[in-house]
Amino acid sequence: MDYKRDIPLVITFIVGVIAVMDYYTTFSAVKETFTIIKNWGVVLQAFALGLGAANLFRVHGKRISDRKTSEWYFSAWLLFMLIVFVVVGLGTGQFEASSQYKWIYNAIFLPLGATMYSSLAFYMAIGAYKILRARNIDSFLLFATAILVILGNTPIFPATFPAFFYTREWIFTAIVGGAYRGIRIGIGIGAVVIGIKTLIGMETGYLGRR
Amino acid sequence: MSAWEKLAALPRELVLTLVLIAMIIPTLHPLGLPIMTGQMAQDWYDTVDALPEGSVILFDIGYGSGGYPSLGPANIAVFHQFFEKDLKVVIMATALEGSMMYPLVMEGVKPESNYGAVYGEDYVFLGYIAGEQTAMAGVLGDLPALVSTDYTGIPIAQISILQDVAGADDFDIVAYLTTAGGTSEGWVYQAYSAYDKDVLGGFLSMMTTSMKPYYDTGQLLGLIDGVKGAADMEFLTRHPGDAIQSSDVLSFTQTLVIILILIGNISYFGAKASRKEET
Repeated sequence: MDYKRDIPLVITFIVGVIAVMDYYTTFSAVKETFTIIKNWGVVLQAFALGLGAANLFRVHGKRISDRKTSEWYFSAWLLFMLIVFVVVGLGTGQFEASSQYKWIYNAIFLPLGATMYSSLAFYMAIGAYKILRARNIDSFLLFATAILVILGNTPIFPATFPAFFYTREWIFTAIVGGAYRGIRIGIGIGAVVIGIKTLIGMETGYLGRR
Repeated sequence: MSAWEKLAALPRELVLTLVLIAMIIPTLHPLGLPIMTGQMAQDWYDTVDALPEGSVILFDIGYGSGGYPSLGPANIAVFHQFFEKDLKVVIMATALEGSMMYPLVMEGVKPESNYGAVYGEDYVFLGYIAGEQTAMAGVLGDLPALVSTDYTGIPIAQISILQDVAGADDFDIVAYLTTAGGTSEGWVYQAYSAYDKDVLGGFLSMMTTSMKPYYDTGQLLGLIDGVKGAADMEFLTRHPGDAIQSSDVLSFTQTLVIILILIGNISYFGAKASRKEET
């Protein structure tokens, strides 16, 4: 018997069966047990965040000590800021509710995070200009759809000509919606199959490389 | 290189500079260009408007700093409507940064001074709950078993709004704003499919394509579509803010993108025709 393999498989089977029973039955014992399991899940995932932080120190600490790449100082900055946030959070005793922590977050992290997303606009603009060319019938369809959707999404056009709004709605509902439903149904069936295979121990990828 | 070919290969720096200018002009000088309220945002507004006074809403802040420019204004607008209608709001965060978004949103809403709302009686913030769909299932399944204190550490037994809230049956509606794919579909699975709850969702515009089928089938009763949806909500709730101002930026920038696409195509066909003539 391979305990390292079999014990996780048994745990997975038991938890999986309880989860399925919780959804399809009304037994109070099952409901109560699954509530405990869900709470364990939340605690475990919160713990994983701490593990992730520890892993950051391991990976970037090695990168700093090796200094093999010119980007090692980015790793040093990452760990420095991580320490700053932790020290400020713990030092005030109020964690993220403290005004000092909020100030650091609002002055540094918030604008940087917003900038990361916003910079996509520039890449999309240059990409649309360079790529969206009606070279053949396929690319013409893509080009026409893109133009109509952008026209429908740009606030001033539907406000001036409501037809742009309804055209975009029709594309979303009739074309995109139909295609996406097909994709989702396919994914759903795949998920059910993977779930059953995981429950009966045929799918062991989550156990990691062995 | 012919004129057509030059037009088809405008320098990247020039295109990016034009985009930047198209963003800066309406930001510095808002023009108040017209907007058309979308049906998806109208449905969100009407659904909340139809709730009786005192109804309990479970609201999830599922976005962080990256999503704040799009979803922050939407969040402020929908909270204005919640508090104007005297609804009870139980707020949680499935995004790690959600607990940092909460004070930013509340600074914009000011529920105490604007609506006379009282923390603990009319609204409460439970903070970040790890686990995404596990957290959703936990809150809807047995809230007191999962959460022992609110965001500030007050035991939930001392919070009056939570005295009659044990799980899904005690929420009249579930609403959320998120930038995460797992969260956006997760609430449909955990609240609509598992408990048949009414659900309202708001997302980045790029996610609307994948979430709209849920709205079309009634699994989402209303949908906020990024900045456009946020502007709609600001208009509907009569609380104009950043999103309506951003609509001008959207109009300018996206019009420029359409012009660039057309220039790219006209120059492509022009260059093709001139090459044919030469041969």
